[in-house]
Amino acid sequence: MPNNKTILLGAVAYDPKVVTIWEGIREHFQEQGVPMDFALFSNYERQVEELLKGHIDLAWNTPLAHVRVRQRTSGASRSLGMRDSDRDFRAKVIVRRGRDIKSVKDIEGKTLAVGSADSTQARILPLYFLAKEGVDLDKVNLLPFDTDLGKHGDTGTSEIDVLKALHEGRADAGTVGDLIWVNEQAAGHVDATKIEVLWTTPGFDHCMFDAHPALEPEKIEAFKRALFAMKWDNPRHRRLLELEGLREWLPPREEGYHSLQEALRQQGSE
Amino acid sequence: MSAELAVIAVDCGDLQLGGGLLALLRPALNELEPGGMLAVLSRATSVREDLASWCRTERHEYLGVETIGNLDRHLIARGEFSVANQTSNESQLKPREGKLTASDVLDVAPLPPTADPFSGFAPRGARVEPGGPAYPFTLNERDHAAPPEIAKLYDQAVSGQWDGTRDIPWDEVKPLPFPLAHALAQVMTFLAENELSALYVPARFIPRIHPAYAEVAMFLASQLADEARHIDVFLKRARLCGVGLGTSSVTTSRSLLSLMQTEDFTESSFLLSVLGEGTFLDLLSFIERYAPDEPTAELTRRAKNDESRHVHFGLAHVRYGLANDPKLYGRLEAAVRRRAAALHGVGGVPAPVQDALTILAAGSAEPEAVARGHEAFRELLDTMHASRIRRLQHAGFTSEQAETISELHTSNFM
Repeated sequence: MPNNKTILLGAVAYDPKVVTIWEGIREHFQEQGVPMDFALFSNYERQVEELLKGHIDLAWNTPLAHVRVRQRTSGASRSLGMRDSDRDFRAKVIVRRGRDIKSVKDIEGKTLAVGSADSTQARILPLYFLAKEGVDLDKVNLLPFDTDLGKHGDTGTSEIDVLKALHEGRADAGTVGDLIWVNEQAAGHVDATKIEVLWTTPGFDHCMFDAHPALEPEKIEAFKRALFAMKWDNPRHRRLLELEGLREWLPPREEGYHSLQEALRQQGSE
Repeated sequence: MSAELAVIAVDCGDLQLGGGLLALLRPALNELEPGGMLAVLSRATSVREDLASWCRTERHEYLGVETIGNLDRHLIARGEFSVANQTSNESQLKPREGKLTASDVLDVAPLPPTADPFSGFAPRGARVEPGGPAYPFTLNERDHAAPPEIAKLYDQAVSGQWDGTRDIPWDEVKPLPFPLAHALAQVMTFLAENELSALYVPARFIPRIHPAYAEVAMFLASQLADEARHIDVFLKRARLCGVGLGTSSVTTSRSLLSLMQTEDFTESSFLLSVLGEGTFLDLLSFIERYAPDEPTAELTRRAKNDESRHVHFGLAHVRYGLANDPKLYGRLEAAVRRRAAALHGVGGVPAPVQDALTILAAGSAEPEAVARGHEAFRELLDTMHASRIRRLQHAGFTSEQAETISELHTSNFM
């Protein structure tokens, strides 16, 4: 039962599996002697607001939500941990073969399929890094797939749409995260005679557990202790880790979000 | 990274990540220990973009690329999350004289002393990914489940299979005179009823046996096939008597229920195979000897051969268990006593069976012949008792223990 010792965590319900994941993790926390409960939100904007109001103790945030929390709290929020798979994430520029694109500069004058406006890996950062490479984005015809707004690209739907547009020849180039690109290739969903990878962005970091600035140190320590006790070779943990897409939880680091902070400043969206 | 650290190199030509490269890459990585180095030789420029990303998602370490002419050499250090490597001596497995037996396989893939519930249905010797679910197998120790002779017994069982439709000269069955037809129908009904229990009782244990000891489950499967065949031929012979099936006695019913209620595999094997099927060997010899025709003799002979394998397994199982666990003597004797107590007051050999065996041995209803038949039946009981004692001593019991256990054995034979 809830009491003032219970840690209340927020997560966004981007898929039914989110319930399975957090029920499982809650059970694991209880076994570790750490009372924890979770509240599900339909979008990250609401989750960030509720965290800032102190209605939840901490939030499992996308990079976009994390950067907003850092900014809104002037860096006073506490970052508690991330997935191994959140580190050194990259975005890919994929091109349709035969469209005469040999380097990223050749995208100018062409149609570039991009993911949701709030997807870090499929929209915000690939466009930022392309501009940094000298691509004049004003000369690029963007074909956006703004699906699942508010979910910050978690569902991957817009990235699948980008690949579909490339396969169908509706776009000359497109941007997706490396995870989707590798997984779709490994699953045999990519026709290498039609599309190929052109370029890889520099690395950036993905999701983060953000705690409210005023969260008690005991709760923070208890949360980290229980979180880092999850192990890949434990069958019950492994099931949860697979669903959440990681092999081990790692400590936080902030330097992986600098490019996103810079991109948001430039795009004036924050 | 210097090239001499690379343990394995794999030439991937111009294969792309999404075009078959992984089918060469992943098996090569599996040959390495964590931290071991793989050199990927590639002419596909897209691999320069994709390989590092794939390594990131699979938790291998991408160390970089060197280009010599038009050939890229990517270096990867194997991560710690993929399936563990292991050694085996399976390269020594060789057919002999055109045959490959389960015993040959057992020599290169021996039974482990204990089995891991988390390996599930993974065949013994397979690489098992960590983190799989636990399986509810309860027979996870070699000493309680898998005697060393098991592969040999399985090989014998496989080559000993026969066909109850074609291998019995059914067309030689002729009508029998009235008392013999009834007697034979009764005897065959009794045999089929008991064999039904011998089908159901071991079947209960197969799902409990850890697949690391699959040969035990496979042997029991052959035993089930044997029992199915016996039920089939016994009932065919009974029906060919043309007088309907015989009687099922409460004595038999109670005895078989108590067999089915035994929850321990070794105790069950002892009661069913060593004592029950062991006693049946003498019964089948008796029926074969007094069989009124060749088809009956043939099917009884064949069933007896099968049953003797089951007795062998039971003896091997119990002997191996006793050698590893001296307390088992007491447990087995207690199991026999419990069963005897449950059956106390049930009476002797079921009357319809006793009468039928007597008439069968007499060969007719002539009083003088019946007297001989009765004498033969009495001798059968003595023979069964003596054989049980011999078998129990062979299993490792003292003559006193053997005498006691044999005396307590069910009068239903099984």
